[in-house]
Amino acid sequence: MKMEVCNVILCLAVLMAPAGAASAAGTDNSGCLTCHGNREIVKKGGERLYLEAGKFASTTHALIGCTSCHDSVTAAHPRDGSRPSKARCKECHAPIQAEYAASLHGSKAICNDCHNPHEVKPAIAVSGEYLNSKCAKCHDKSKTIKSHAKWLTQADLHLEALPCITCHTGSKNYVINMTIENKKPGDPYGEFKTADYGELSALQPKNGDINRLIDKNGDGIISLAELREFNYEARGKGMRLWGMMTPEVLTHTYQINEKCWDCSYCHASGPKAMQTSYVEFPDRNGGVTRVAVEKGAILDILYGTPDFYMLGTTRSTALNIIGALIIAGGMMMPIGHGTLRFLTRKNRKEHES
Amino acid sequence: MKHTEQIYLTPMPVRIWHWLNALGIVTLCVTALQIRFPDYVNIFGTYKAAIRLHNTAGVVVSVSYALWLIYYMFVTRTLVKLYIPTLDDIKYGLFRQAFFYFFFYFFGRPNPHHSTPDSKFNPMQKAAYLVIMLVLLPLVIVSGYFLMYIAPLREVFVLIGGIKTLVSAHYLIACCFCAFLFVHIYLATLGHTPFAHFIPMWSGWEEEEVEDGIHEQAPGADTAAPAHSAGRHSA
Repeated sequence: MKMEVCNVILCLAVLMAPAGAASAAGTDNSGCLTCHGNREIVKKGGERLYLEAGKFASTTHALIGCTSCHDSVTAAHPRDGSRPSKARCKECHAPIQAEYAASLHGSKAICNDCHNPHEVKPAIAVSGEYLNSKCAKCHDKSKTIKSHAKWLTQADLHLEALPCITCHTGSKNYVINMTIENKKPGDPYGEFKTADYGELSALQPKNGDINRLIDKNGDGIISLAELREFNYEARGKGMRLWGMMTPEVLTHTYQINEKCWDCSYCHASGPKAMQTSYVEFPDRNGGVTRVAVEKGAILDILYGTPDFYMLGTTRSTALNIIGALIIAGGMMMPIGHGTLRFLTRKNRKEHES
Repeated sequence: MKHTEQIYLTPMPVRIWHWLNALGIVTLCVTALQIRFPDYVNIFGTYKAAIRLHNTAGVVVSVSYALWLIYYMFVTRTLVKLYIPTLDDIKYGLFRQAFFYFFFYFFGRPNPHHSTPDSKFNPMQKAAYLVIMLVLLPLVIVSGYFLMYIAPLREVFVLIGGIKTLVSAHYLIACCFCAFLFVHIYLATLGHTPFAHFIPMWSGWEEEEVEDGIHEQAPGADTAAPAHSAGRHSA
């Protein structure tokens, strides 16, 4: 589903880019951004007129151009006194809009309440924390924890470790995404918060590429050895890796995945499902870049993801074997000693007699 | 010639603690099996039921442990005497007892240790119980409580190397308890009859076989059964 949506967006972008460029002959993005990318415009018309050029540039909407959505804008704008039109999301995103309209949220909030079209990110560049920040605009965090605690064990922990849409979704599978968290400067005893691009850049990674903070050799995949090295260093720098389970596919249905009432839906999905994980690095534009982690890292006892553990699911095979050996050692006493005891029972009878 | 003596070995508070603890630990082991291997084991219907029972049993064990500690430290004040091995126990007693269990027992030689209310445990028991009651049980209880309140204690986990370190420690110690259960129950059958050591844990009185002339105790001590004295001849 996610891939289909991405493909549709990309196809549209490719198809519409020439048309957009043609129609935007005199008013291409740079022209618009000259004024709308400058904070001075806030003084003239308010915050809604300003957009961050960097964030906008990273969106697929930038590819189709400003005038694709604001098609009534004229060469005389803003002197012509008219207010440029805005395209409706469903003009391009009809399937998603139909899906959303049929959901419980359809009548409660419009697309723009959660998605800023000038900052919208592809699904792969969205962190779980970012997703939850959208829900928190209407759903108070403490009230949400309270309502979930009625049936959910350690509700606070679950809501910390999951985006809401992991359970309120049409997605059937999930993956583990890790982010780097740190203590904020001047607050060494405060809570860990997601590290932003500037903070990680300040650590001077190789070639200025913050992915290299963990992916030391820059091969595009994070090995267990690299995770181990990072975790070792992180402790001394007030950083940690924090894991979050996110849906594999983003949907706009928001129905409760009925399977989530059964804890074992997630907690018994077994080590195989827990093989896939990524580390999300923030990028300059507020999005994230995912780097794949060596399969099985989150099952590693200590070095993979020291602060991410899911009961039942992330059990380590090595620990299972050690535990089984300890128990087997205990069982050897009755088995071994008991056998010798049985074989030498005559000795004790003779002694008693 | 031998005669048997009845010794009041296990006061009622200790017996209540012991069986409460036993029930709790067995419940913890069984529920833990489902919690760790939910895709293979389903004894309690739902995963949530297993977790809630596990948490409840954990609280029961921790409360009973606290009562046990208070009883031995402040009521009878015999914790050190009963549970801390003496220098003699470490130098000779441990080996003497190990030789008995793993060698002399098979030749029908008598147990070198005779339980009395003031010396209930042989040196091997002392060493094992010392580690279990004063090291492993507190550790598994503390780690268990930490795991019940992960979100508010997250910062602490980072200090000790992450939640996985804690979970691993909790799990491995729990495996030690599970192993101990097998050893403990089996060794309890090594009395002069297979149930000789089980009965006192229920009634408080242990029947000991004693050579004539040894352990002669004052007759008439078979009445009130105070906590730390008394024996009664039954044959």
